[in-house]
Amino acid sequence: MANAFVAAFEILSFGAIIVLIVLGLGIIASMMGIFNFAQGEFVLLGAYITYLAYAKGLPIWAGMVAAPFVVGALGFVLEALIIRRFYAAPIVAMLGTYALGLIIRESVRGLIGGFYLTVPEPIGGSIDIGAMHISAWRFTIIVITLLVMGGCYLLLSRTSFGLRVRATLENPSLARASGISTPLIYGATFAFGAALAGLAGALIVPVFSLFADLGLRFLIQGFVAVMVGGVGSFIGPVAGAGVIGTLSAALPWVMAPVVADVLVFVLAIVFIKFRPQGLIAGKGV
Amino acid sequence: MGAAKQAVQVDVGDETDVPVIEHAPSERETTRKILPIVEGVVLLAALLAPLVLQDYLTVFATRVIILALFALSFDLVWGYAGIMSFGQALFFGSAGYGVALLARDLDITNIFLVLPAGTLIGLTFALLLGGFLLLGRHPSSVIFVSLGTLTGSYAADRLARGWYYLGGQNGIPSIAPMSLGGYDFTEGPAFYYLVLGILVVVYLLCRFLVRSQFGLALAGLRENEQRIAFFGYKAQHLKAIIFTVGGAIAGLAGSLYAFHEGFVWPNMVGVVVSTQVVLYVLFGGSGTLIGAVIGTVIVEGVSFWLSDNYRDIWPIILGLLLLLVILFRPLGLISFVLGERERVGSFGAKIKEKRNAAP
Repeated sequence: MANAFVAAFEILSFGAIIVLIVLGLGIIASMMGIFNFAQGEFVLLGAYITYLAYAKGLPIWAGMVAAPFVVGALGFVLEALIIRRFYAAPIVAMLGTYALGLIIRESVRGLIGGFYLTVPEPIGGSIDIGAMHISAWRFTIIVITLLVMGGCYLLLSRTSFGLRVRATLENPSLARASGISTPLIYGATFAFGAALAGLAGALIVPVFSLFADLGLRFLIQGFVAVMVGGVGSFIGPVAGAGVIGTLSAALPWVMAPVVADVLVFVLAIVFIKFRPQGLIAGKGV
Repeated sequence: MGAAKQAVQVDVGDETDVPVIEHAPSERETTRKILPIVEGVVLLAALLAPLVLQDYLTVFATRVIILALFALSFDLVWGYAGIMSFGQALFFGSAGYGVALLARDLDITNIFLVLPAGTLIGLTFALLLGGFLLLGRHPSSVIFVSLGTLTGSYAADRLARGWYYLGGQNGIPSIAPMSLGGYDFTEGPAFYYLVLGILVVVYLLCRFLVRSQFGLALAGLRENEQRIAFFGYKAQHLKAIIFTVGGAIAGLAGSLYAFHEGFVWPNMVGVVVSTQVVLYVLFGGSGTLIGAVIGTVIVEGVSFWLSDNYRDIWPIILGLLLLLVILFRPLGLISFVLGERERVGSFGAKIKEKRNAAP
């Protein structure tokens, strides 16, 4: 019983981490039609900023709060300077964002060297339920993920900003004709997606420690999750992330980790092949 | 280091000088043909390289030639058919692992066995993956194919890392050298010329392929897939065929690479090498075969030259350069010397092109 509970918690917390990382990726892919290869590096930057705050003696919380804003601002600038030119061609966008990611990743590698740097958990210790212990920080991540997910959903479905974003997605020329500044909306959406990645990086760095290839590790999992969930809506990628995260965490409990690792990807690709529109089809929230 | 620096500079110098050279009129047309000159210069430079290079640089040059062969396979798939294969290393690496296992477990190192075996492995994997991703009732989206190949390559990387039989993280070290009768191909000029010969043969085959009617259909596929489908071509089959051919060439390159380096390791099937080959081709210029070769030589050459002093910042520079090329020179460095007309080229039998001026 205790074991099953611990396993369930592990699976849940890993699923939450994947959802957190995919949120930004999914918003950019769905709302802008760009598969952002630099997303993993935005995660890395968020983690790096948190580490920097810790190394400078600031409270870790400060770094975690700053990370999304800094990365979001960077995302806004990058969109205005570079990403903007790629909207017409999705493949070129992949290559361009890959080049951007390469620059960011190698810069961070130059800054931290080839080390694994650890950042302590801001909320240490464990929560005890009877004889079972679960990590307090991982529990916090689950809670924050749920909050962020709810917040994003409300932002996109209930606010006028969300309405503008969806209008721009649905029909850019009509949106422009209606007086919506689509370039600004694209910039804001990209910045928002980047900020979410920054937040994800900041939150997961105590769990995974900081190393240059941190983002790369999640990038492909994130892409697969977005495809499985379905591009075009907010909820699709989140659902996909839930499925992929849960599978990647659950399968190693029942089979050899190597096989499980590969099986998740194979299953996902086969699924997408036969259901290209993903779990949740259609545009909207 | 001095020699490497010179070699790189000479290479680059030759290519930028090309348009200036006054060339004897070619057999037909009054327009100057630049492509054959570029190809000739590169071939000449490649033939002479081992004579002027020091031994350790010949070894490096051999590696570059093998990678150029690999780049050719990607160029065929992306530059000509417009299939974004982000997982080309899957075929390169799996062939490498395949021949490494042949050499390790079965003691087979005969060149006439291992090279066809490697090619066949690449071909089979490409046929399976390409067939799955590209064929089917509904045409697959470009995004799906590119992410599918990327995922395939990543999954293979994870598998190679975790599977004890394949050596795990360390890969398979100290592979016996490739042999021909009693002769062992070890690093050096002999291996270099062997690889160069293979590259030239494959290059000529590719050139024939892309300038044939089949190549014309491929170019149409790249420019407007729907229109090609309306003409009655089986667009998906064409794609699967060229993808498989690309996989076979990648497999050949991978088996040569495994024997040249003497070991294989998980990166070889993974995302790192997959993206590296994309860099080569984008730099040089996709859609021209020679562009892939030149791109490989420049990227690898400069990286080798800089790696002593600027090892840390080189990848950053590479990223910046790549970004600049994508933004401002989408056709790659080769487009500085090669006009659009010649890049697109002419197709089919020669009699036709004399009469038909329109492309």
